[in-house]
Amino acid sequence: MPKIYRNPDVMWREEDESRAQADEALEKGENAEDIGTSLLFSDGMMVTLNVLGTEIWKMCDGRDADEMVSELLQQFDVEADVLKNDVAGFVAELAEKGFIHYEE
Amino acid sequence: MKSEQTLKAPLTINWAINNSCNFLCRHCYSRSDTAEELAGDVLCAAMKRVAAAGVLSVNFGGGEPLLRRDLLDIASCAAGCGMRVSMNSNGYLLDKEKAVALKNAGFSKVGISIDSHEALAHDRFRGVAGSHERAVNALAWLREAGIKTSISTVICTFNHEQIDSLIEFALANKVSQLNFHNFKCSGLGLANKDELDLTPLQWQEFYRKALRAKEQVKELDISLDDPIIASLGLKSGSSMVKGSVCGKLSLNIKSNGDITPCGFIPVVIGNIVHDELKEVWANSPVLEKLRHKTPTGKCASCSDYGECLGGCSARALAMTGDFNSPDPHCWIP
Ligand code: SF4
Ligand code: SF4
Repeated sequence: MPKIYRNPDVMWREEDESRAQADEALEKGENAEDIGTSLLFSDGMMVTLNVLGTEIWKMCDGRDADEMVSELLQQFDVEADVLKNDVAGFVAELAEKGFIHYEE
Repeated sequence: MKSEQTLKAPLTINWAINNSCNFLCRHCYSRSDTAEELAGDVLCAAMKRVAAAGVLSVNFGGGEPLLRRDLLDIASCAAGCGMRVSMNSNGYLLDKEKAVALKNAGFSKVGISIDSHEALAHDRFRGVAGSHERAVNALAWLREAGIKTSISTVICTFNHEQIDSLIEFALANKVSQLNFHNFKCSGLGLANKDELDLTPLQWQEFYRKALRAKEQVKELDISLDDPIIASLGLKSGSSMVKGSVCGKLSLNIKSNGDITPCGFIPVVIGNIVHDELKEVWANSPVLEKLRHKTPTGKCASCSDYGECLGGCSARALAMTGDFNSPDPHCWIP
């Protein structure tokens, strides 16, 4: 399974306030999917990520998708299969935008 | 995923570290600016605070950055705080050693202003003989030193029909990006507007062609930083904010530290030395108004308002005194 790395050209940061908001929502069992808690920025292209996206992005430092899923399962209350799909889809999207690359 | 949420700080800052210039460009907005320059240590301290606030990149511009003797120190300071450092230069003062020094100081990208593929036309516009040749050489030195390069071209009456030649020229010089800047009627640009600015219909024609070229030419990133193109059906999607970026993603800092929403909006909303950036960003009534513009005139009934938001606020302000007015470049009748 290939390891996933962030493209070093991409600048990014977390939005602390939005993150706090999202964490609070999650704690109450509410949906925080639409709250952007970080943003990625590269050559005029900007992408906003929600909590899950942010956590996946932060793990793009040489881990593979399976490792990500097992770590995220400890953090989020979701079905393993659903999460696996989400991670795969999200990572593919990042790759398509050139925000990450794979290494064997 | 979100659009209305205000970011905790700008992503990027355009920072005029000086106003002096060795050129006499006819469209320039800062040579007419006489504001003082901040000392190196004051600048560096300000940059540290800006980085801590969350700003990811700074772009030096305004005057000619290479005329600042302590440019390398300033750049190292900014890069040392973790920010991406770039600048816009006319390239005249660049040579091989300087390019290497810039790289070592932490510059990741340098944009060189070139207004025509033809040397004479460029030299005449920039007011300095031989400047085209030196700009072209600068691109090569920079690339060799490992710095990403781009060409910045201000579109105006004498080059708007040369899109293809400009693209060919950019490809031949192996730059990674070609920026077509729209002409802004402020500063000296306003004084020379009649002679340099296109008519709305010429803008429409220019952007149609430029968008087509952007689609077709894959080897080059062609950037069109003008919100007015929304009505031509460019998908902005989630990639950028709607309307103008000023006050939403970026801010401008003048050489004396004054903060303005954009280099072309001469409204001071704070000072980077005396004020807290985050505080200005969150609470400035001017930014608030720029983020929530009200459609007036033809914008009120325009179906593209949601994407365009009235176009460039700076141009509207310069021509009518109100940035809610429709962009004077807008071709919608
Ligand atoms: S009428 Fe206003 S909103 Fe519509 S395209 Fe023109 S400037 Fe933009
Ligand atoms: S006001 Fe105009 S020049 Fe300034 S950032 Fe917005 S679009 Fe660009």
